[in-house]
Amino acid sequence: MTNRQARIFAIASTAIAALAFLVLTLDSHRQFGELTNADAITPEVTHGKDVWHKYNCINCHTLFGEGAYYAPDLTKITQHRGDAYLTAYMRDPSKFYDEKIHRRLMPTQDLSEKEIADLIKFLDWVANVDNQGWPPRPITVTGSGMSSGVVAQRQPEGTTPVDAEDDPRAKGEQIFRTAQPGCTSCHSIEPGVDMAGPSLAGMATRAEETLNSPEYEGDATDIEGYIRESIVAPSAHLVPGEMYSSGGTSFMPTGYDESLSEDELSQLTAYLATLK
Amino acid sequence: MRYKSQSVAYWYFAVAMVLFGLQLVFGLLSAAKYLGPDPLLYILPFDVTKVIHTNLLIVWVLTGFMGATYWLIPDESRTELHSVKLAYLQLILWTGMGVTAIIGYLFRYGTGNKLLEQPLPHKIVIVICMLIFLYNISMTIKKSGRFTTTEGVLLIGLFSSAVLFFPALLHYENYTVSIFYRWWTIHLWVEGVWMMIMGSFLAYLLIRLSGADREVMEKWLYVIVGLVFIAGILGTAHHYYWVGVPQYWLPIGGLFSALEPAALAGMAAFAYAAMRRSGLAHPNTLALHWTIGSAVFALFGAGLLGLAHTWPAVNKWTHGTLITAMHGHAAFYGAYAMIVLAMITYVLPKMTNRAENGTTLGYWAFWLQLAGMFGMTLSFATAGLGQVYLERIMGMGYLDAQLKIQVHFLMLIATASVFTVGVALFIYDFFRYRPHFETSEETLVTTTGHERTA
Repeated sequence: MTNRQARIFAIASTAIAALAFLVLTLDSHRQFGELTNADAITPEVTHGKDVWHKYNCINCHTLFGEGAYYAPDLTKITQHRGDAYLTAYMRDPSKFYDEKIHRRLMPTQDLSEKEIADLIKFLDWVANVDNQGWPPRPITVTGSGMSSGVVAQRQPEGTTPVDAEDDPRAKGEQIFRTAQPGCTSCHSIEPGVDMAGPSLAGMATRAEETLNSPEYEGDATDIEGYIRESIVAPSAHLVPGEMYSSGGTSFMPTGYDESLSEDELSQLTAYLATLK
Repeated sequence: MRYKSQSVAYWYFAVAMVLFGLQLVFGLLSAAKYLGPDPLLYILPFDVTKVIHTNLLIVWVLTGFMGATYWLIPDESRTELHSVKLAYLQLILWTGMGVTAIIGYLFRYGTGNKLLEQPLPHKIVIVICMLIFLYNISMTIKKSGRFTTTEGVLLIGLFSSAVLFFPALLHYENYTVSIFYRWWTIHLWVEGVWMMIMGSFLAYLLIRLSGADREVMEKWLYVIVGLVFIAGILGTAHHYYWVGVPQYWLPIGGLFSALEPAALAGMAAFAYAAMRRSGLAHPNTLALHWTIGSAVFALFGAGLLGLAHTWPAVNKWTHGTLITAMHGHAAFYGAYAMIVLAMITYVLPKMTNRAENGTTLGYWAFWLQLAGMFGMTLSFATAGLGQVYLERIMGMGYLDAQLKIQVHFLMLIATASVFTVGVALFIYDFFRYRPHFETSEETLVTTTGHERTA
């Protein structure tokens, strides 16, 4: 190769690569609107983005997996946590996590209520961007793995598929793993593993105790009724703890009475009632 | 030193050294926070130490590039710099920008846009510095009428760096679009035009140190530039994984990123071949350690460790974990920190009273840094692998997974301490000899073959 040929190689390959890159950039612009739901970028979302920048969030957290690696990824956080939870969390993270246990803690940021509300709107916009299905499995904040935190969009490989003939409790377990917002992103079924919500291990036993205690003010009369009530009306009876509720309202997302059918609700209840 | 104006390089290098030292202070602080609990939670939280750590890296490496360029251009064009005053003005503005930006970060004054956190006034000063710099070196070359290929590649690299900074000045309403253009600056800098800068420094050093034939070296340089851009431009796609862009960026990113090690392998081969063919024609063997070291470590850190997690099917699991920190540390250190340290090591004996072949301390600095950075890379790698399996694949919660990999953070701090000792020795060795700026007519060694002139 002569010097001249080498130079032509350098210039030509740069030019071709740059041209291809520019064409793809133009085409990407054509698709950005749809992929990112650009219509949903309201002034609140934009303000929320400014809040995200102003408080330097990206130098601990990641969003779309980009940022620092010192705090959890927040791409899909609004699909795992309700507004009430996120608002209370942003007011004072130390009520939710203990630095002595996890060895790190988010400092309180002193955000205004408006900043918190818009930040959550921004994060919700992020959660709905079409980003090729990443993360492949939900990234949860706490939990011990395997049985928790796995919201299977599809049937995990190597498991027996659930079909119409199956026991309602098996179908209930499937719903427990696939419902949106995901049950497993806040509840584990292992004893003592409290995540954003309390562990559901021993739920049936505790439900019975609750029903018999004088403090219970809900409408349920039996275990399955209590479990069902806690799914569709989580504030009817509050589990003590500042990380679970505030001002008499549970942080658990509502709306399962609409997103799940009557059959699905009874299957889910049947499953949870097996956790003695 | 053949030209009096080359002495400006010393002051650029001196500033770079101080900032490099400071970068490690904030790096160590950040690493300590991984072990926690953090007594400085409300004084100096992680986000602040981390943003200062990464920004100092960019500022000191660029300061080093500028200093090295102010050294190289008079040497190559055989003339004094166009304006020494402008060069000092640029250094003062630049250092002022860097220092005030860091002080601002302590008070959270920044844009919160990863790696481009500099507030707008600072970004404008960066542009002004770039313009002064480009004007000064272009005028120098124009005045001399001698323009070598090495200079050409360097100049295009620097010009493109300035041009690619412009997307960073704009405001984007859509977060995904802002990510898209952020990488035009960051990726096309580090995996594109900065590679041209590195390649030209490498060519300069190899021509001086090994007495390799200029014709051959410059032809190689063109080939490397071609390889860098074939892979590097479309390789930007690996930053477009999972951020809300069209699907086709995934296979494009996979394919072209897989080609990226080619240019780095080319550079390492280029350095090795030069040594084999021409032997050592210069007594500064320490500078040679840094030069070859940079080419090899860049191939390892940027090329191979980048390739390790760039395929979409792999990246799906590793994206946003400490695996990225593994690649980032080794790549930046190998490709950019080491090439600046190589230039400094080559230049220092010509501006200070010290032996050409390097001091014992200098060798300790080299090997301790290398061992330390290799250990840090392994620590991030093992921590990252643990994180990927526990958190991403088994579904363990982020905070719980981080607790399980604490032992790797201990290893990180231990190896980072070794690295810091290496850097401290380098900085001490830099400053312990007073500068003296006397020009001397050095004869360029033109020995070929395996004859040694040391």
